[in-house]
Amino acid sequence: MEKIVQNLKSVFAPKSVAIVGASSTPNKIGNVLMKNLLDNKFQGKVFPVNPKYQELFGLKCYPKVSDIPGKVDCVIIATPAETVPGIIDDCASKKAGGAVILSGGFEEVKREDLASRIRETARKSGLPVVGPNCLGVFNPYSKVDSVFLPAYKLQRPGPGGIAFVTQSGAVGSTVMDLAAYYGLGLSKFISYGNGTVLDESDYLEYLMHDKETEVIILYIEGAKDGRKLLAAMKKVNRVKPIIALKAGKGSGGQAAAMSHTGNIAGSYLAYQAAFKQAKVAEADGILEVFDFVKIFNQPMPKGKRIGIITNGGGLGVLTTDCIESQGLELAKFSEGTKKEFAAILPAYGNVNNPLDLVADSGVEAYDKAIDAMMRDDLIDALIIIVLTQTPPIDERIIHVLSRASDDRRKPVVTISIGGTQTETYRKIFESKGIPSYNSPRAAVRALERLITYSEYQRKLKER
Amino acid sequence: MTLIDDFALLERYGFKLLPYHLARSEAEASDAARRIGYPVAMKIVSPDIQHKTDLGGVKVNLKSEEALRLAYKEILQSASGKRVDGVLVQKMARKGVELIIGGKKDPQFGHMIVLGLGGIYVEIFRDISARICPLVGQDVEEMVAELKVHPLLEGARGKKPINKKSLQELVIRSCRFMQSEDIKEMDLNPVVFDEDGCDIVDARFGR
Repeated sequence: MEKIVQNLKSVFAPKSVAIVGASSTPNKIGNVLMKNLLDNKFQGKVFPVNPKYQELFGLKCYPKVSDIPGKVDCVIIATPAETVPGIIDDCASKKAGGAVILSGGFEEVKREDLASRIRETARKSGLPVVGPNCLGVFNPYSKVDSVFLPAYKLQRPGPGGIAFVTQSGAVGSTVMDLAAYYGLGLSKFISYGNGTVLDESDYLEYLMHDKETEVIILYIEGAKDGRKLLAAMKKVNRVKPIIALKAGKGSGGQAAAMSHTGNIAGSYLAYQAAFKQAKVAEADGILEVFDFVKIFNQPMPKGKRIGIITNGGGLGVLTTDCIESQGLELAKFSEGTKKEFAAILPAYGNVNNPLDLVADSGVEAYDKAIDAMMRDDLIDALIIIVLTQTPPIDERIIHVLSRASDDRRKPVVTISIGGTQTETYRKIFESKGIPSYNSPRAAVRALERLITYSEYQRKLKER
Repeated sequence: MTLIDDFALLERYGFKLLPYHLARSEAEASDAARRIGYPVAMKIVSPDIQHKTDLGGVKVNLKSEEALRLAYKEILQSASGKRVDGVLVQKMARKGVELIIGGKKDPQFGHMIVLGLGGIYVEIFRDISARICPLVGQDVEEMVAELKVHPLLEGARGKKPINKKSLQELVIRSCRFMQSEDIKEMDLNPVVFDEDGCDIVDARFGR
């Protein structure tokens, strides 16, 4: 890893943070930043920087970064674009750990001159710079937070294993809010905007080495450097799964192409090719990103033979349809397992896959069926359908599913479809780390991604 | 660059084209056909015509000198008023599955290869799969598996599977050609595959 990328550690886990453009005016970015840091209990030192004030939020305020005594790890900058190159020079001479530039007004408005001054200083001094024109970083572990949306309006997720790298601040903030809502834990949030000094490939590389990160979401509109991105995705995805969401899919090739290929091969086809070559899972829309990401807390399956447990026959059939259309297989239960099932089911019950526990089965039947499936070598993964509307299902199902999801012998996904009561259950499932879906299609597509990734991992090991 | 120059460059890169000759008269076409061996196909070569088939500028499966001479006249008629470089006489391709092997230089990712169902309906079916150059044999196998036409390549309806080795070799050769010559766009279309190998029927590229 390049030195400047390694240096990002100062940005993500700083012991001290300076806010350039700190302000006492409510709703100004420099004001929200201060509040977010102080309210979210950032443990390190906070230095407001603004020549207009002597003191802010009861803290001594400094005219510029180099006036701060002692070490400064992370400098968050929210001042007008023209002032930023000078501030970056000041950070470099102060030997600050790194900088996050939130301000806009650079490449995106054709001020390449300002951007290149920042790039030169950063490259020369090894100062890692996030941005400009972005929301910057959030780390639930260190509580560093440059996202200038008030915490009471945009919930911050707790610590977890999901890293999120996003070009767009708007998509980034939405995903972060949703992650908090679903109870999914983040390892790092990185909104990199123009990517002037460090681009998406650099962040992927950093996250590959990041201990807290288990799975990476990449939202991309246009790569800074396509070939570098392909190389980075290939390298990182071997170690940690990447889920990509590409925006700007304009289907056509160039208008006046000379060949069939020129007509059909637009830029999105090149991205698709790159994702496929790197074995990166491409999500079809924001919500599918969540569908995919939450399944990666499950163990890698050994194959694609799926066992289904349900308390409603119809949903078992719908799920079977999806299994076929996604190229997965319905497992054949072993004779031993069938005997165990026969003991659980009423006399008229059917012991084949999908296993229909029927509507009058309770939580105990689920527990026993799951246990038998975990031990059956002819099954690689479990789909557990729970219609929470049936009379015998009560809150003990949470514990049963949670234990299945934490079992680690085989991956488990759950499907529950319904109204308010079901959705309440689902939120609890999510908060326990149980992959929960409200459609068979979403569940099976996610499982298919996990199986494809595990096949890829297996092939890597065989080589 | 003329068509013949293009073909010659491809041959220098080891692409095996069907035996061909650019004829500028009926007599020359007939001589060429005799040398190449019947049956042959003939195609108009004109800078003014992109879709040769649509205008009647392609005649295939000509089995005799008589048929060839008649076809020659019809082809020239179809191109009346257009600039004509000549008529390409070409050995008739084998029968099999028609694929396109295309290439493009993407501004972000550089050279990429497109594999798909070939022939004249490429843009209608859009049954394609793409990869960024350079690629390896495994990539080609995965591209094949992605195509809807995939079962046909594996030998549907009593046919033998196509010769995958020659496909792999052709795709990798195309990659090398595109990158060394810095080609902007390329079509090898159609390339006809059967169990023994393949015939490149038509090729065009631009820098």
